Amino acid sequence: MNTPTSTPDPAAVIASARGLVKTYGRGDTAVHALAGIDVDFERGQLTATMGPSGSGKSTLMHCMAGLDRPTAGTVMVDGETVSSMSERALTKLRRDRLGFVFQAFNLVPTLTALENILLPLDIARRSVDKDHLDAVVRAVGLQDRLSHKPAELSGGQQQRVACARALVTRPAVVFADEPTGNLDSTSARDVLGFLRRSVDELGQSVVMVTHDPTAASYADRVLFLADGRIVDELRAPTPETVLERLGALTRRVEADADETRADETRADETRADETGADVAGAAASVQVR
Amino acid sequence: MLRVTLRGVRAHAVRFLLSILAVALGVAFVAGTFSLRTMMSSTFNGIVEASAPADAYVRGATEVAGGDGGFGVGEARNPVPVELADEVAGVDGVSLALPDVSGTVVLVGADGTAVQSTQAPSFGLAFYEDDPSLSLVSGEMPSGPDEVALETATLESSGLALGDATNLVIGGEVRQVTVVGSVDAGGPMAGATIVMLDPAVAQAAFAPQGTVSTISVYADQGVSEQALVDAITAALPQLDNGAEASAVSGTDLREAVQSDIAEMLGFITTFLLIFAVIALFVGAFIIANTFAMSVRQRVREFALLRAVGASPAQVFTVVVGQAALVGLVGSGLGVLGGLGLVELLRVVLSGMGMDLASDIPLSTTTVVGCLVLGTIVSAVAAAFPARTAALVAPVEAMRGDITVHERSLRMRGVLGTAVLVAGAASVVAAALKHESATADALLGVGATLVLVGVLVASPTLARTAMRFLAAPFVALLKPIGRLARGNVIRNPRRTANTAGALTIGMALVGAVSVIAASASASVASVVESSTNADLILRSATFVIPKGAVEDVRELPEVGKVVEIAFTSAGVSPSSGVAPTPQDAGGVISLEQGVLGSTLLVDVSAGSTDDLADDTALLNTDFAGEDWAVGDTMIVTTAVGTRELRVAGLFESQVLGSAVVVTPSVLDALAPGEAQMIDTVALDAAPGVSQTDLRAAVTAAVAPYVVVSVQDRDEFVDQMADQVDQLLVILYALLGLSLIIAVLGIVNTLALSVIERTREIGLLRAVGLGRMQLAGTVTVESVLTALFGTVVGLVVGVGLASVLPTVYSDEGLDQLVVPWGGLGTMVVLAVVVGIVAALWPAIRAARMRALDAIASE
Repeated sequence: MNTPTSTPDPAAVIASARGLVKTYGRGDTAVHALAGIDVDFERGQLTATMGPSGSGKSTLMHCMAGLDRPTAGTVMVDGETVSSMSERALTKLRRDRLGFVFQAFNLVPTLTALENILLPLDIARRSVDKDHLDAVVRAVGLQDRLSHKPAELSGGQQQRVACARALVTRPAVVFADEPTGNLDSTSARDVLGFLRRSVDELGQSVVMVTHDPTAASYADRVLFLADGRIVDELRAPTPETVLERLGALTRRVEADADETRADETRADETRADETGADVAGAAASVQVR
Repeated sequence: MLRVTLRGVRAHAVRFLLSILAVALGVAFVAGTFSLRTMMSSTFNGIVEASAPADAYVRGATEVAGGDGGFGVGEARNPVPVELADEVAGVDGVSLALPDVSGTVVLVGADGTAVQSTQAPSFGLAFYEDDPSLSLVSGEMPSGPDEVALETATLESSGLALGDATNLVIGGEVRQVTVVGSVDAGGPMAGATIVMLDPAVAQAAFAPQGTVSTISVYADQGVSEQALVDAITAALPQLDNGAEASAVSGTDLREAVQSDIAEMLGFITTFLLIFAVIALFVGAFIIANTFAMSVRQRVREFALLRAVGASPAQVFTVVVGQAALVGLVGSGLGVLGGLGLVELLRVVLSGMGMDLASDIPLSTTTVVGCLVLGTIVSAVAAAFPARTAALVAPVEAMRGDITVHERSLRMRGVLGTAVLVAGAASVVAAALKHESATADALLGVGATLVLVGVLVASPTLARTAMRFLAAPFVALLKPIGRLARGNVIRNPRRTANTAGALTIGMALVGAVSVIAASASASVASVVESSTNADLILRSATFVIPKGAVEDVRELPEVGKVVEIAFTSAGVSPSSGVAPTPQDAGGVISLEQGVLGSTLLVDVSAGSTDDLADDTALLNTDFAGEDWAVGDTMIVTTAVGTRELRVAGLFESQVLGSAVVVTPSVLDALAPGEAQMIDTVALDAAPGVSQTDLRAAVTAAVAPYVVVSVQDRDEFVDQMADQVDQLLVILYALLGLSLIIAVLGIVNTLALSVIERTREIGLLRAVGLGRMQLAGTVTVESVLTALFGTVVGLVVGVGLASVLPTVYSDEGLDQLVVPWGGLGTMVVLAVVVGIVAALWPAIRAARMRALDAIASE
């Protein structure tokens, strides 16, 4: 199989998908959220996924994280095949190997900040590594807020608690779904800075979905999705380069929308041809256009 | 706005399902009670019509105290001679006059036991050849002392057939008889055992003095009831035996009897309604909770309504209207359920040999009343949540995050505590001043206030109590214990309301079980201290046949025999004053010397040894401060009057009767059937062992079927059993409230699972397993059930503990807290919690993690 996007060293891949398809509904009303994606996420890197709404970026993350089951294709995380796991194994995977940060509603309102951070360990009945906990708590700067309930914390503090919870189990990958979507720019900077440091200082692997070019610029690599496909990729992004690529992407999507529905057949053929073909190349050609 | 109201209910129909069920159960109880009453009264009215079908009745002219007025009800009157019937038969317009001769009998069925269904009476009556009220279905008329005919239902339940020989206990003797006929008495007899006898035999057994309480008179054709009564009234003074007699029309007599029955059924209805109202009240908690939660979820919808121009009053109306609709649907189902319940009861009772009227016992009034009741209860219960909805600001519609601010609990805490303290003070006052007349009222008001205070303060209480109750779960079950604790504490109002339904039921259960245990213990201690007899005879029909007593007396193994014979009579209200018909009291006869040897009593004045044929002993319960030794007691019965000098006053809690006289006095005042031996106490002859005594006595009373032989311990046990039976009935009646309370827990859990969808998604995302999630819901449920149960039991037991202090004079002097039973209740609460959690827990576990996260 040809390697999609750029080719990372196989040993450096922490999570990957091959031929990933997710279809909602069936027949005429079927929606292809993911139209056959091949992707590798690298170990020890912060990868951002961007795209217009409806592009499938959240679905990709849900499938990668075992929160949703793909219609076809395989998902591997840290050497394990997520796509064929039982519900029980998925639960265990999420508990032991993955960390999550959501856009909102990240914390259990009845538990204190510390209890929320320790929740995955409690659930797994694992003992607390005191030093690691201290390190994580210090890193998010919440030492003096640990006994507060979520309702007594600001939005930024809540997201930092969520980050600490995601990291405390030393997961293989942290999945963050619009982690700064509800935050003001200062709080967003805090949270992103923390995720960046967790990669740089702790060697953590992070996959982040975002629509904010500034947030994406914290990543090592940015993947661009449109219509359920990866159409572009950018390494060492800056807000400006991200914005530029996004603009190109938007133009492409608009151009696509202008094309007649009759092209669908051709598109399908193209996809058949392109399965395993160089999507990046295709994306590049789009850019040229 | 009507459309909004209706659509809202339809869109959330499932969420209101349990509320509808709760209303339906409560209303079913109410509807069932009323239709049971209708069915019972139509049955009994039918019996009255069938058993008193005559056009007129001749009875005594003057009312007397003691005994009864014929047909088991009304004021007692002087009896009339049997011969009067023949004389009345000669009056113009009279076609037939028959003396009503009847009395209690015991019929032995095919299985060798007494034929008796439920608590229905068992009696024999004279079967006149031309009696229009009875008709021979098959066989022949009974003739002579050895033949009987049986009412058709009696024949069926006895298992006997025409031609069978069996035993009949009549007039205190056992007699071998043959069943020769079956007789239709004119309708369903509600399980009464009816034996038809040769008139001469019946008269010898039941009217040995030649007197009866009534004579049935039938008119010639074309003579109206009133004309008949007028003719008899005019003729009576001329008749030889007519001086002390009067006539009454059949309609008047039947109406009097039926109104007495209606009054009795009224008591039963009221008793049942108390429990029905408790069930409805508990159901109201569920509705209040459901709507509180529903309003929380729909804040944005209400804000939108407000934003597009709806007034707060209109929003209020929408919510209350939805509640009313839920109530209406629930009560509709409840009415049907109540009907089903009564239908079921009829089938069960008829299986037990109790035939009841079969028309549909549901009046329009009952249906409409029940519908209105259920609707109003629901609407009122939803009023507070509706107010919250009405106060939603229109701007909430624009907000992304919806937060409902919980009002402070301080007000409720302070108010509840104040009410609680007032109630407790009132209860303590009742305990301290238990001799005063106001003690009952103080206790009742205090108990109510305590319960209300606890319910009002319980959200505050829940917060504190849950920390203790949850401690073991938090320590043992990580992390679900802590999650569950958080969930029950985060909304203390909701937790308290959910548990409150259980609290009410459990408070009653706690109180009732303490009262029952204390009553049993009190009875036991009273019996232990009041008799030293070796054996005690009792009867299932409450009357021990005289023959049985005589047979036992003749046994060589038996030493002393003490029979306690009882009659109801008129007794002087104070010294020397003749009793009016209202001054009825119990009179018992005892041999001289029994009080103080076999029956142990405290003599407070005079001497029990002075009991003679011209003296009486008075119970201090009756005498109070008003009577002294030497006063004159006048005892009146239908037969005669005696003036007796008071020789002594005694205190006893086993002898409930006011006056003790000698057997010869009682025989004179209440001959034959009028006196009943309700208890016989026996001692063994010298040198005879308890075992031998018992074997001999048991064999001697065996033919009488209904007589039981007990030693003192068994006697106490039997008393305790009676208390326990009552307890079972009360528990069954409270059971419905408990079931509704459990529904309330299911309801709250199911709705809060929906409410917490996103949180559940989060927990699942960070690795909480399905079983752990189900476990969290279960622990929540158990905690809620435990809280409701423990608070309820503490309140109930606490209040009931005061009773022995308040009522020690009435014989309830022992306080026993049945810890075992209470422990069972707590265990039951855990089980209830687990059962209630099943459905919501499964629902929560089935929720898909992603759906939950994505849910808006």
